[in-house]
Amino acid sequence: MPAKKRTTRIGNWYKSDDEKVHFVRKRKAPRPSQLRKISPGQVLILLAGRFQGKRVVLLKQLKSGLLLVTGPFKINGVPLKRVNQAYVIPTSTKVDIKGVDASKIEDEYFKRTEAQRRKNEKGFWAKRGELTEEQQVAEKKRLDEKRKTQKSIDDALVSTIKKTQLLKQYLGARFSIGKTTRPHDLVF
Amino acid sequence: MKSEQQQKGVTKTVKKVKVNKKAPVRLWVKAVFTGFRRSKVQQNEKQALLKIQHVDDVSSSRFYWGKRVAYIYKAHSLKNNTKFRTIWGRVSRSHGSNGIVIARFNRNLPPRAIGSTLRVFLYPNRA
Repeated sequence: MPAKKRTTRIGNWYKSDDEKVHFVRKRKAPRPSQLRKISPGQVLILLAGRFQGKRVVLLKQLKSGLLLVTGPFKINGVPLKRVNQAYVIPTSTKVDIKGVDASKIEDEYFKRTEAQRRKNEKGFWAKRGELTEEQQVAEKKRLDEKRKTQKSIDDALVSTIKKTQLLKQYLGARFSIGKTTRPHDLVF
Repeated sequence: MKSEQQQKGVTKTVKKVKVNKKAPVRLWVKAVFTGFRRSKVQQNEKQALLKIQHVDDVSSSRFYWGKRVAYIYKAHSLKNNTKFRTIWGRVSRSHGSNGIVIARFNRNLPPRAIGSTLRVFLYPNRA
């Protein structure tokens, strides 16, 4: 019998494995966005969220590109917080943050824990949301740790802030647009 | 300039409820929805013309390019625990020489919004 003729062409290149490789990023970690006219120690105005209008102090830029800010908590109730650069107005006021050590805080500090995620469960899953004894203890410990970190960072800051006249009141006040304010004309 | 959008979600469907009951704080600029971009007999509902308060010329209106805009209205039924609903959009470009601005919304604005006040927020801040 004559050999069957090949109806499809064989290419010169064979894939070594059959798995489809999804898009692989060449750059593994996202590059943090450039800080536009913002430097650590600067006072920023938060534009959105629960603390909109509050003036906060910038501590540093995290690896993810978000900005780490703090109220300080004692002054205006804003805790250690991550903020996107686009949701903030930088002002020309600067606070000296030489004594403040925020190096230990990174994005992992803000990661949601399993207990946190489960806390808001309702209805059918409410049982799952109830924390076990150990989880409750762990939660309490975590919150205490948070309060301690907040306090340690804020103490140095507040003492520097108290040295400048009216800076404490400035940080405690909220920014608001009045009847005649023109944001496009404002120089912050 | 790209900034990370990690913390802020891209879609917001709930009107922001202010928790602070002491003093109301306004972080948005009032804008009037004057109508759709149109000629005499034809209109383009995709493009909404906004007259932002105190903005009178093109150079001032440039500040508002890219800023997010919300049309907030009330409905009868509760959704997301509130009777307020929003349509979000962004200021896309200027229109004319007197500070009017064109905004495009995720869903086109309803015609009954003509004449109503919209909120032009100050974010994303392009600094």
